Amino acid sequence: MLPLEAGGRRPAFFDQDGMDQLLSMVLELAAELWVVRERVFVVEAVLQTKGVAVSEAIEAFVPTAEQQATLAAMRADMTAQLFRSLNRDHRPVR
Amino acid sequence: MPMELLHDLKVAHRQDARARQDFVSALRGYMLNDMAAGMKQRYQEEVAPAMAAGLGGRLPTQDDVHDAMKGDLYFKFYSSVRYNAQEMVWRSVIPGIEAALPEMVARAATVQDRAGGTLTLDPTLAPPENVTAVDVHLMPGVYAAPDTPSAGAIYDNGLAVFSAGFMGRELDDIGMSMANYVRKRFPDFAPTDILDCGCTVGHNTLAWARTYPQARVSGIDVSSSVLRYAHGRAGSLGIAAHFRQMNATALDYPDASFDVVFSSMFLHELSVKDIKLFFAEAHRVLRPGGLLINMELPPNQALDPYDQFYLDWDCYYNAEPYYRAFRDQDYAGLTRAGGFAADDYLQFTVPQYTYMSDDDFTEAVQRPAAIDGQTGRLSATLQWFGFGAWKR
Repeated sequence: MLPLEAGGRRPAFFDQDGMDQLLSMVLELAAELWVVRERVFVVEAVLQTKGVAVSEAIEAFVPTAEQQATLAAMRADMTAQLFRSLNRDHRPVR
Repeated sequence: MPMELLHDLKVAHRQDARARQDFVSALRGYMLNDMAAGMKQRYQEEVAPAMAAGLGGRLPTQDDVHDAMKGDLYFKFYSSVRYNAQEMVWRSVIPGIEAALPEMVARAATVQDRAGGTLTLDPTLAPPENVTAVDVHLMPGVYAAPDTPSAGAIYDNGLAVFSAGFMGRELDDIGMSMANYVRKRFPDFAPTDILDCGCTVGHNTLAWARTYPQARVSGIDVSSSVLRYAHGRAGSLGIAAHFRQMNATALDYPDASFDVVFSSMFLHELSVKDIKLFFAEAHRVLRPGGLLINMELPPNQALDPYDQFYLDWDCYYNAEPYYRAFRDQDYAGLTRAGGFAADDYLQFTVPQYTYMSDDDFTEAVQRPAAIDGQTGRLSATLQWFGFGAWKR
């Protein structure tokens, strides 16, 4: 496995405990939100070209048990990424 | 859309990864332009006057500026966004690379010999401490898989995200700008052997081959992984380049082997001691009339304290331990320490070659070096800085 994190302690720019980690979470969340927004945009654009009216179908959609399990795993991955900074040491800057 | 790599070793990142890379690139673009401008304004209006009151009439140093800025909320958010964005650059490309690695290796094997380039690795070369002790610019896994091109792939794909559009469509604007500076400024100079030291994936090495197609172009690096990638990348692009695993402080080339010894974004990864060793080696392997030319960040002595502090952010927070010590040096003095004569020193700034017309660039290179706060700094008004010396 290739590592995803660089070695060493992360700098803590803020005086308040947890602020640095919190900002990491916010930025990860923003990135994730963008990924989803772009994907939804692409999905709707693709379906539009195929002549599919997708909005009504989305409102009526009920996931299967298998689909629910897939969504649960996706949520778990997203959560792990969201809180990644909690596993790291931080060195005070001031 | 994210900047797609233009060669056969590119990774077919999935839609979600591409969107994430795009987001990180846009975040960096916003931070480097808008947030940087906001932070400077904050410094000028709030931080600098308060700091001056505490200095008793003494002029501030960059350490004074840094200390004062540490307490400023704008600096904290700027720095935190920049640090996180740096981590996110690598995270946005590594999983896709890992998945694509076996196929990338197979593809490299089919294209790497296409143009007649070569790869010579040295299994006895121990990676020096300056690249093993820290994950430089927070890039994880430089030596995680030395027998694969993984580190090269991470660097190339990461640079496409990191550069936020400021380093050229083929990530070679530095090399193209430096090589074309030499071509335009010294039209009678006709190098036949060119060496790029610390070449990583060869993105700037190939710029020299494009600019001087008659020359034999070589690139060295201490990492076998980036060289494996560089070899495949160059073959894919149809350019013959000769990559060897070697330390620039101890070049395994005979005296007087090259007309140009080049480096880019390399010296700031070395200790001052190693820079001097490298320059002495460059002097040795250059032929009389040959040129040492380095693209780098400008020296601190040419900048005001705020701009010194702004560029040295990388040293404090981006795992670039040698960055400031290098930038605090007298660059001309470093070339003299390598054996070059004081009168043979040159330094210059150039605009970005791949972003302008050849004619406009030709005109620009005739102007004297003008170093300011935008020099070498990724932003919409970027100018590259270069320095070096001729060997008599």
